[in-house]
Amino acid sequence: MFGSGSDDQDSRRTFTRRALLLGAAQAGVFGALGARLYDLQIVNGNRYSLLADENRVSVELLAPQRGRILDRQGRVLASNAEDYRAVIVPANVRDLKGVLAEFSRIVPLGADDIEKVLQRTRRQAPGIAIVLATELTWERLAAINLAAPSLPGVRTEAAGRRQYFQGAALGHIVGYTGAIDRLAMDDAPVLRLPGMRVGKAGIERGLEDVLRGSAGKVTTEVDARGRVVRVIDRVEPRAGRDVSLTIDASMQTAVVEKLKDFRAASSVVIDVATGDILALASTPGFDPNVLVNGGDSSAWSALQKAPGDPLNSRALRGLYPPGSTFKMVTALAALGAGKVDLKEQLPCEGVYEYSGHSYRCWRRSGHGSCDLHRAIRESCDCYFYEAARRAGIEAIAATARKLGLGIAHNTGLAEAKSGLIPDRDWKRGRFGRGWFGGETVLAGIGQGYVLASPLQLALMTARIASGQALMPTAVQEPSQKAPAAPLGFEMVHLKAVRAGMEAAVNEDGGTAARAQGESGDYEMAGKTGTAQVSALSRDRVQADLPWNRRDHALFVCYAPMSAPRFAMATVVEHGGGGGAVAAPLSRTIMDLFMERSSVASERIMQARTTAHEPSAISLPEEDN
Amino acid sequence: MGRSLPQSMSSGSASGSFAALGWALPLLAASIAVIGVAALYSTAGGRFEPWAFRHAWRAALGLGLMLAIGLAPPKVWLRLAYPAYIAMLIMLVFVAVSGITQSGARRWLGVGDLSVQPAEMMKVALIAALARYYQWLPAERVSRPIWVLLPLVMIAAPAGLVLRQPDLGTALLIVAVGLAVMVFAGVRWPYFAVGAIGTASLGTVLWPHLKGYQRQRLLTFLDPDRDPLGAGYHITQSKIALGSGGLQGRGFLGGTQSQLNFLPEKHTDFIFTMFAEETGFVGAVTLLMLYALLITVLLAIAVRAGSTFARLLAGGVAALMALHVSVNVGMVMGLVPVVGVPLPLVSYGGTSLITTLAALGLVLSVAVHRTERMRRHEIGAMW
Repeated sequence: MFGSGSDDQDSRRTFTRRALLLGAAQAGVFGALGARLYDLQIVNGNRYSLLADENRVSVELLAPQRGRILDRQGRVLASNAEDYRAVIVPANVRDLKGVLAEFSRIVPLGADDIEKVLQRTRRQAPGIAIVLATELTWERLAAINLAAPSLPGVRTEAAGRRQYFQGAALGHIVGYTGAIDRLAMDDAPVLRLPGMRVGKAGIERGLEDVLRGSAGKVTTEVDARGRVVRVIDRVEPRAGRDVSLTIDASMQTAVVEKLKDFRAASSVVIDVATGDILALASTPGFDPNVLVNGGDSSAWSALQKAPGDPLNSRALRGLYPPGSTFKMVTALAALGAGKVDLKEQLPCEGVYEYSGHSYRCWRRSGHGSCDLHRAIRESCDCYFYEAARRAGIEAIAATARKLGLGIAHNTGLAEAKSGLIPDRDWKRGRFGRGWFGGETVLAGIGQGYVLASPLQLALMTARIASGQALMPTAVQEPSQKAPAAPLGFEMVHLKAVRAGMEAAVNEDGGTAARAQGESGDYEMAGKTGTAQVSALSRDRVQADLPWNRRDHALFVCYAPMSAPRFAMATVVEHGGGGGAVAAPLSRTIMDLFMERSSVASERIMQARTTAHEPSAISLPEEDN
Repeated sequence: MGRSLPQSMSSGSASGSFAALGWALPLLAASIAVIGVAALYSTAGGRFEPWAFRHAWRAALGLGLMLAIGLAPPKVWLRLAYPAYIAMLIMLVFVAVSGITQSGARRWLGVGDLSVQPAEMMKVALIAALARYYQWLPAERVSRPIWVLLPLVMIAAPAGLVLRQPDLGTALLIVAVGLAVMVFAGVRWPYFAVGAIGTASLGTVLWPHLKGYQRQRLLTFLDPDRDPLGAGYHITQSKIALGSGGLQGRGFLGGTQSQLNFLPEKHTDFIFTMFAEETGFVGAVTLLMLYALLITVLLAIAVRAGSTFARLLAGGVAALMALHVSVNVGMVMGLVPVVGVPLPLVSYGGTSLITTLAALGLVLSVAVHRTERMRRHEIGAMW
């Protein structure tokens, strides 16, 4: 019934009107297309098909200069050396094989080199250059340029080759660059440039975006022989920014020197006021120059197989059970939860019984009974078993995270690991089982599942020393950092824990007495840790065990005691005991920093008194 | 009511010219497809492999399908409109779930050795479904808000699925074709004005919320020069190839730019460039005129059609052809952003070729069965 005649007539009329409209619009659009065609083919036709008949526009990308990496004093750690190379742009070549044969007369190319070039030509857009030869000598460079008329599409250019200074001591920090593994569709076009290198490790990788810069573009008109007729448009590349580190290369080198006697060790020093990383040392290390020069893959695989895994930055990626260095966390958790009083004495008979299991204190005879101060000073295990049980794993985990454990920190270096702070959720997710009380007891002394990197332990110490939520960074920010927020621990609790750490080094019976040092010109606070590697190690003399089954030696500390400036964590893999090995080593490293800072302040004092000598204000260049 | 082609051809002098329109359709389609075969032959460097031969037999198959579809009256296609739309929608969902991924986008659905692009077929199914909808909807309700909303949902569903593939170009084309049918159906202009303003302001509001890379992609889409070795490279090379064609072209098989592999997708989306380089301004304008003629014929058939369904079906196919040709040719000349839109009947690609011929078959059916009248009550309810 709806289909009445007039109704249909109406919509038919509307349709006809609108169809005419579409027809008119279409005529307009086709007119515009025709006009554009006329413009391209008739008006500008000659521009495109010049008399030469084969001229074409070629668009090429220009590589940006990679930013440099500088140390705290402005010393250059990584920069670019000029490297002359020959490239070919297949878009500008008709007889590619002929040109390659011609080129081989100047720089010999093997059959497989030629095959590689031909293969790449088939795979990629023809406007992208392919590298034919690198590190050209002046003679060859000149010869290629002289032969240019018979080498269409070939040109020489200066490319940046990455150069590293300061050698192996900075290897883990600076990192190195290498060829791109695989290109994704979304990647910036600059990455498709020949020989483009990207950061593979360390700062080079972590700050790739800052260092890389962005590509320029040159549009040229090229004739049939590949010669540039004119440059139509040129946009210069934007160079990458320089990056300044918080690390002083000479200090870093000195720290690495101290670690050299150990097969595998690492040490991290953090500025307690700012969170700046002042040293980040791991042995064994590697010289990044070996990896970038000529892109020698055998050098890389040799390093990868080398004993001690030198490519691995232990300071960032080495994960160890923190052992007794974790006891400050347990203490703050138990105090914060109100489960232990500052003066409360907890018994130690040398063994702690819990739910049918026995947990031993390192001192077989026991400590009798300890309050918090003595428990930290003498590292009484039984005290912390009980404190951990009372606090519970959730409170311990929360405190640990507050102190910077269990989190992968973005320091500017790419590869920091997060370590592991276990809790109930983690265990259920990982093992599908509930949490056992005994696991809390073990976690209380930094054993069991708990894992932390030296960087995290140094950060933990810096946060305890300052009470602030410092963020660790290896890169100097151009802008002033916002001051760190307080962590929110009760000041009495923090002070009690610090007093325990001071006592561990300086009072009789302290486990870290060997960190007192010979000079005694400043005092420090610290905590030893000995991380069990094999279950039996407690019953044996360490020296009798094979190296890889000995305990890890750990030490965390800060100095000077009264007004902390430097926080440090040191781990000697399979070093034996923390008090015997890591503590004295840490003292010698701390000496370096204390000496440097006293020299610096002396010079500043001098400069103030002799104001007409302004250059003396700058920090000393070399101290060692 | 003409049951077969010859009968309707001889049904009086009044419809004589109209019948001629019916004949013009397969003739025009066949001529354009032959140009496609020739262009593909040249693109392969003067060889029937790998494209020209397949294109030829697919075109023959498609022309047969077109005639077969033309023989059946529109009433048949009316009944199939909704089921076809639903089927295509399901296929698009399948593509999203288990489609074949090619250069980063899921567009293909594999059936044995065959792989098809449901998005191409969806364009035609959507036209038919919308025409079916307006056949059912009383004219006085066409511009009521609720009855405007419904077809918008019918357009948005496939467009959204295609957008997720991701294929922004095809999604936009689906929206444009759907809107064209709504324009033809007589939806009042203020709706389109409000829609345009709404889209523009939504874009302005959303822009700051987009992620950096999303913005980059949109900007590169709008201005290919931002990626000189990607999309921008194609357009630069395409313009050079077109320009070097000049007035008379470089001659058959003589397109150096295209032969030298400078052109990407030279056998699919950029085939017009190839053709225009070899045949010059004269050839390119001739091809455009053929398309213009084809679209005019389609519109003429639409205007004379006997029912709302038939009218909108033919009008929608006319709009589809017009959009495809304009966007494709505009794209290779650098007037329109690069989107994956084939040149109808000429670009290599089975789904597009056969779907286009089938769509023309639907219009042929309208032309042949002009006298067929449809009343709303004959169809009854929505289904």
